[in-house]
Amino acid sequence: MPLIPFIRDAAGADSVAIDDGDLLTGGAIQENRALTVTIHGGAFDGRHDLVLRAEAAATISESRPLDQQFALLKTAAAAGVTVPRPLWYCGDAAVAGKPFYLMERVSGSALGNRITRAGAQPALAETLAQELSRIHAITPPQAALGFLGAIRETPAVDAIATYRAYLDEMPEPHPVLEWTLRWLETNAPPMGDTVLCHRDFRTGNYMVDDGDLTGVLDWEFAGWGDPHEDIAWFCARCWRFAAPRLEAGGIAPRDVFYNAYEHASGRTIDLKLVHYWETMAHVRWAVIALQQAMRHRSGDEPSLELALIGRRLAEIEYECLNLTGALR
Amino acid sequence: MRSQPDARELLEAAERTLSGEVAPDMSNRQRYNVALVTSAIGIARRELAGGATAWPDELAALKELYGADALESGEMALHRLNRRFAADLRAGVYDESGRNRKTTMKLLREDVCARLAEDNPRYEK
Repeated sequence: MPLIPFIRDAAGADSVAIDDGDLLTGGAIQENRALTVTIHGGAFDGRHDLVLRAEAAATISESRPLDQQFALLKTAAAAGVTVPRPLWYCGDAAVAGKPFYLMERVSGSALGNRITRAGAQPALAETLAQELSRIHAITPPQAALGFLGAIRETPAVDAIATYRAYLDEMPEPHPVLEWTLRWLETNAPPMGDTVLCHRDFRTGNYMVDDGDLTGVLDWEFAGWGDPHEDIAWFCARCWRFAAPRLEAGGIAPRDVFYNAYEHASGRTIDLKLVHYWETMAHVRWAVIALQQAMRHRSGDEPSLELALIGRRLAEIEYECLNLTGALR
Repeated sequence: MRSQPDARELLEAAERTLSGEVAPDMSNRQRYNVALVTSAIGIARRELAGGATAWPDELAALKELYGADALESGEMALHRLNRRFAADLRAGVYDESGRNRKTTMKLLREDVCARLAEDNPRYEK
């Protein structure tokens, strides 16, 4: 198995044994495999629980290639963000069939329904707000993140153009999303602060063990943007799972999250901008849902899970109408 | 005439058997798959109870905006008019308040609510 010599060389070890391997659930876009290895010799001597992350058969257009994800993870780790420690990237498809990277496996669960059924968790929300402020402390330029595209006009105007282009690729028209994008266009804010946005910072994408945060996951959408985009994504109705009344990620009231973020970052949250980006969040989730459903419909990746994401559209569009005042 | 029970009743019974009797005896992973299957059956069952669209007056509302073409089938008209409606929304045709803006908002609202009733009737609004 070529994976063993790869790890041996990367770890500077004498020998490596793979004790156990299993496909992890979760992550409809990427493929995650749990590996337990024993490394003899070198700086990594000992037993390690790892995750091998590789591209899924078909990806959605926004998703970044693995080498970029790996660079983002390393940058985040260096900035003090709680993430699974990134170890090695391998771009040689001969080793495991496709490019992949290895990271330490963190304990706990990321399942949104499980986390949000545990009731209000203000301390966890505060920790997450502090983590987000650390991510937002990463600002351009960053030599290791040269692959991140520059903002063309403003983050909002750029996003509207991107989502319209995605809609143009879809076989059916989507009047509700067009309505919402037009609202976003006429209400677009001027350029604000530019920071590293995680762009998928939400319940379901962080690991919790016994109530404590163990890692912020899924860096494949990160890019330069407005900090309110991440705050709004975290609070959006579509990511509250079993606790829609706990508006910060289904784990706490908004003010708990907002106060902790403002305290940790020194920034002031503009509530109008959160509302704006929360509307954008639903358009974005709608576009992703359409793309996920297309992976099934195109025959690339037949999957009932992906197919059903297509039927989430109505609830996402309901929130779009709600946020743009069209339900009144 | 078909034998009974009809398609909707069969799907309802299949859904009940899966969630009530099959799922409880399964591993978490299989229970997740059963929940997906149950959800798909439920959506299909509710869709079958409706017509060509989730909202029966959709075509009439679009024709009110754009006029009718007598030679066109309902399905073709729905697709063409929705495409035009979407393009007009993007172009800002319905930005200004007026009678058409009210019709527009009603159309969007009725459509979403009708689809929501099919796809996720328990969604907390």
